[in-house]
Amino acid sequence: MTHDSIEEPHHETIGEPLLTVSNLTIRHRGAGRGDGADAGSGAGATNSATTILHDVSLDLHRGEVLGLIGESGAGKSTLGNAVLGLLTSDFERTAGTIVFDGRPLEGMGPREWAKLRGRRIAAIFQDHTASLDPLMAIGRQVEEAVLANNEEPLRREARAVALDLLARVGISDAAGRYDHYPHQFSGGQRQRIVIAIALAGAPDMIVADEPTSALDATVQKQILTLLRDLVDDTGVAVVLVTHDMGVVAEVTDRVVVLRHGRIVEKGITGKLLDAPERSYTRSLLAAVPRLKLAGPDRGTDREGSDEETLDDDGASPSPAPQAPPILCASNVTKVFTGGSFGWFAGRNRKPALDGVSIDLAPGAITGIVGESGSGKSTIGRIIAGLETADAGALAIEAKPFDIRRPGRRSGLIGKVQMIFQDPAVSLNPCLTVGETLKEAVRFGNRPMDDITSAIGGMLDRLRLPHTLLPRYPHQLSGGQKQRICIARALLAGPRLLVADEPTSALDVSVQAEIVALLKETIAEQGISMLFISHDLALVQALCSSIYIFKDGRVEDAGPSGFIFGHSPNPYTRSLIDARPRRFVH
Amino acid sequence: MIATVVGRLSQAFLLLLVMSVIGFVGIHSIGNPVFNIVNAETATAEDIRNAAIALGLDQPLWWQYLVFMGNVVTGRFGTSYIYHLPAFSLVMSKLPATFELATTAMLIAAPFGTLLGLHAGRRQGGLVDRLVLKASVFALSIPSFWLSMMLILVGAIALGWLPPGGRGETARLMGQEWSVLTLDGLRHVVLPALALAVPNIALIARLARAGTIEVEGQDFIRFCRAKGLSPRRILFRHTLPNIAIPIVTIVGMQFGGMLAFAVVVETIFAWPGVGKLLIDAIQLLDRPVVMATLTFISVAFVLLNALVDLFYAVLDPRVRRSA
Amino acid sequence: MNVQTLRALCKASWHYRVSPSVLLLAAYVLLALAAPLIAPQNPYDPLQIQAWEASSPPGTMSGAGYLYLLGTDGLGRDIVSTVLYGLRLSLLVALVSTAAAAFIGLTLGVSAAYFGTWVDALIMRIVDLQLSLPTILVALIAIVTLGPGVDRIILAIVIVQWAGYARLARGVALSEIGKPYMDAARLLRLPTGRIVLRHLLPNSIAPAVTLIPIELGHAIALEATLSFLGLGVPIDKPSLGSTVANGFQYLLTGQYWISLFPGLALFGLIAAINFVGEDIRRRLNPRSLSHDA
Repeated sequence: MTHDSIEEPHHETIGEPLLTVSNLTIRHRGAGRGDGADAGSGAGATNSATTILHDVSLDLHRGEVLGLIGESGAGKSTLGNAVLGLLTSDFERTAGTIVFDGRPLEGMGPREWAKLRGRRIAAIFQDHTASLDPLMAIGRQVEEAVLANNEEPLRREARAVALDLLARVGISDAAGRYDHYPHQFSGGQRQRIVIAIALAGAPDMIVADEPTSALDATVQKQILTLLRDLVDDTGVAVVLVTHDMGVVAEVTDRVVVLRHGRIVEKGITGKLLDAPERSYTRSLLAAVPRLKLAGPDRGTDREGSDEETLDDDGASPSPAPQAPPILCASNVTKVFTGGSFGWFAGRNRKPALDGVSIDLAPGAITGIVGESGSGKSTIGRIIAGLETADAGALAIEAKPFDIRRPGRRSGLIGKVQMIFQDPAVSLNPCLTVGETLKEAVRFGNRPMDDITSAIGGMLDRLRLPHTLLPRYPHQLSGGQKQRICIARALLAGPRLLVADEPTSALDVSVQAEIVALLKETIAEQGISMLFISHDLALVQALCSSIYIFKDGRVEDAGPSGFIFGHSPNPYTRSLIDARPRRFVH
Repeated sequence: MIATVVGRLSQAFLLLLVMSVIGFVGIHSIGNPVFNIVNAETATAEDIRNAAIALGLDQPLWWQYLVFMGNVVTGRFGTSYIYHLPAFSLVMSKLPATFELATTAMLIAAPFGTLLGLHAGRRQGGLVDRLVLKASVFALSIPSFWLSMMLILVGAIALGWLPPGGRGETARLMGQEWSVLTLDGLRHVVLPALALAVPNIALIARLARAGTIEVEGQDFIRFCRAKGLSPRRILFRHTLPNIAIPIVTIVGMQFGGMLAFAVVVETIFAWPGVGKLLIDAIQLLDRPVVMATLTFISVAFVLLNALVDLFYAVLDPRVRRSA
Repeated sequence: MNVQTLRALCKASWHYRVSPSVLLLAAYVLLALAAPLIAPQNPYDPLQIQAWEASSPPGTMSGAGYLYLLGTDGLGRDIVSTVLYGLRLSLLVALVSTAAAAFIGLTLGVSAAYFGTWVDALIMRIVDLQLSLPTILVALIAIVTLGPGVDRIILAIVIVQWAGYARLARGVALSEIGKPYMDAARLLRLPTGRIVLRHLLPNSIAPAVTLIPIELGHAIALEATLSFLGLGVPIDKPSLGSTVANGFQYLLTGQYWISLFPGLALFGLIAAINFVGEDIRRRLNPRSLSHDA
């Protein structure tokens, strides 16, 4: 059931709200009392208390989905936890009330909470793996929830009820898989099981904290659809905490925007997305990369790269640059080595890469899109020389390199620089920014005479203040760290750059900056880049030609216009469809 | 699964081999057993040489090692120089005493330690928690020999309730003598068992505490609460099994350690077990007994470890399933 | 737990709230260092020992004019002096062996992680074999093989302890190697030595710092136990352990002081070290108390 008219709320506004939060203010005590006891929640080195939520008021009605959106640190998870009564003792409510179905939630003891939770209020968390007991069969875990939250008639039939729940959330062959353990299911399936457990007591309200952030785009869409169907069928109310505007657009009736613990704006989803009142909301919306399905494609305008416009019917399915590709990888194959427990039955062994061939056009940005496990990162690392392949060939500027040998031996390493996903672990914590960058200049490809001015120039280009040089990585923000990583990569003077999900770990507003920066600097320096991502819209904004990876194979390939315009490939279409329609033009 | 078993066993075997070499070489440097046979003062050079030949000491070292290994495999360790009994049966005869001491100690330490740790971990910062943290540091800092002596000082001399040493009366069961079956025996085993148990209570309590804190912080426990399960059910059906694995591993290892080397405690309490036998043998240069004891202890310890490893694999369905 | 927090600790130690354990430990170290100056007699010097004053209870006046504050042992040695000199020995042995074991263990552990393949397999095989044995067993085998003497004891303790550092360092190093900054270093074609020394090593040693106090306590206890069993320091150099051993026979006849006081001193020292170690761990990482290193 698609969710067409976002404009109209899907609930009856008559009647009392199910949940009312009024003027809620919550503080967090800093590092715990000096001796002995430790809060262990790592709230940082400060000993003072910080206000996490400030005067927050909202309400939720039956049968509606309320979105709570904010960037990291906005306090949305704290709010979710407060409603569930799961705040640890280092949090303290200093003002305001939470009233659920007419009953204030303050001061309830653990026994009362236990009665409330499961039966009236249920929860779904982000980490589907961590939500399930790894040592207990999933059927029993669902059964457990049924038994704990229902009265007699249902309790006798606990197993039957559990089976029914599992079927309802879309677990095929529930009876056969009843005794399986969580690790035997995929991420999406685990989250479905979690939803089944949440439904076990037929709750009035579900608090879903980033329920789909850890899932692939296509699976994300399925789970959100499931949630929406459940709401429409049973009238349960859902509080959906997320950082993703796409999720909000897809599935919520009303939305509350949080920033630094304060409510910035709230209203009916459709109205807010069409005409946001506050500038913060506007900037959040603007930062979401849009997918364009019509109109001329946007690639980097470089000489030598072919511009295939959409009007060109019968466009060839692969990019045909006029200049020879700067990099050619052909038939690269790599078999998975080892897994978490070492042994794979022969039939379970899927190759990480299976006969993959890609070309990089010179001076252009080529994209690889795929979901987790598609092999997109692996090919990037093989090209950089960080990993070896089991078969295949690689040539850079027509010089061949043996990718079956370690990068140092084959001479491959050093030709390509990389930008990694998580800036927090991409910099040596023991070195200052200055030392890291100096090392890049000294050992890089382009020997430079004046190291200081080279570094200074790079910092300027990336719009970073020189005062960052003596600082250590932990003193920088995520965006700053990533820019230093870009600086390091560029200072080494490469001709090729591989960017592996460079923005996934950053807030949405910072993402847009980094992407723009990358585009600029690449263009200036004439570098060729391979941009790897799971985000279609980002890839469209940057890349002139795109490869779609699935299960270690190249599923589809072509210029950007072709891929987003008229590629017949069903997988490509499913990826495009997984994007919330609101952000597709 | 087969792969693990084979891997563990081969590792165990390798370990034993290495130990046998080291032990053999080491023993060789303790004194010269010739002087156990001949009188050091009146022996002539001829006598000494004959004695050496009789003991096989004139052969090259590696040959002696092979002979030794051959004997090990067939269970012949020679005769004790001191007791004039077959070394191997001597070791076996001391085994029940050590076994019952170690078992009693572990039966005290494991449940007590686990419960303490569980309680401490659940209420972090509470009275029990702080007590457990402080007391465990003390308990782990006491040198075992001093603890034993203080126990004797307090229990036997100052208070006079319990005997200061030795093993009590025994009763026969399944062909072996066990002292825990008699009241007198029980009185004798209390102090030494306590001496062994105290540091282990501390160790297990800390481990249980750490495990409880870690598990209770995990999302799935949070989710269990969100599910509406009672705190009791969460504790026993979810927390406990998840902390059991590392605790079982440690209990197994510590038990093996106790079995193998309650040396100090046995020496002080004059408990006639395997450990005391070993120390006495080393001091008296009774080579066959040293070899027999070391070999036996190593085998027992290594087997026990391998058992614990396999047990671990059985307990954790993630490992089990991949078989 | 990483280098930042280590650095923060160094800065913070200027403002370190002095806890009783630190004071106690400092007192111990001072006493041990000052032993020759403050001890009434030198128990190593047979000329100073008055054998006829053996087994005197605490508080007896000696013929030479000083007070036997804690009594004398079976050979007539003043207990106070024995304890002071014994502390010196214990601390010396423990510090030297811990330092050596840490150095060797950390280097080998990091190398095993970085070089992988057969280097890793070999080192870890040895480590696993060794760590699966109880420490006393390893120590006994080492002593039996090496023979008596203070230097042999140090060697034996090093042999016992290096494996723990190696395993810990290897584990940390492995997870650091997986981090992108190590990849970045490889991409810059830095020489191997530079990568290991400048990038890998500094980020891998921090957790080992928490291990040092624990192992120090173990070293002291191990030396004492070996001496107690008569396999440690030779008889003429009174170690705390051997004094306790000598005193055991007198325990049953009520002459408790020979075993009690040296043992108490030992207990206090080890406990102080352990408490300080606990403090360090808590400051470096509030979560570490829930992980027991």
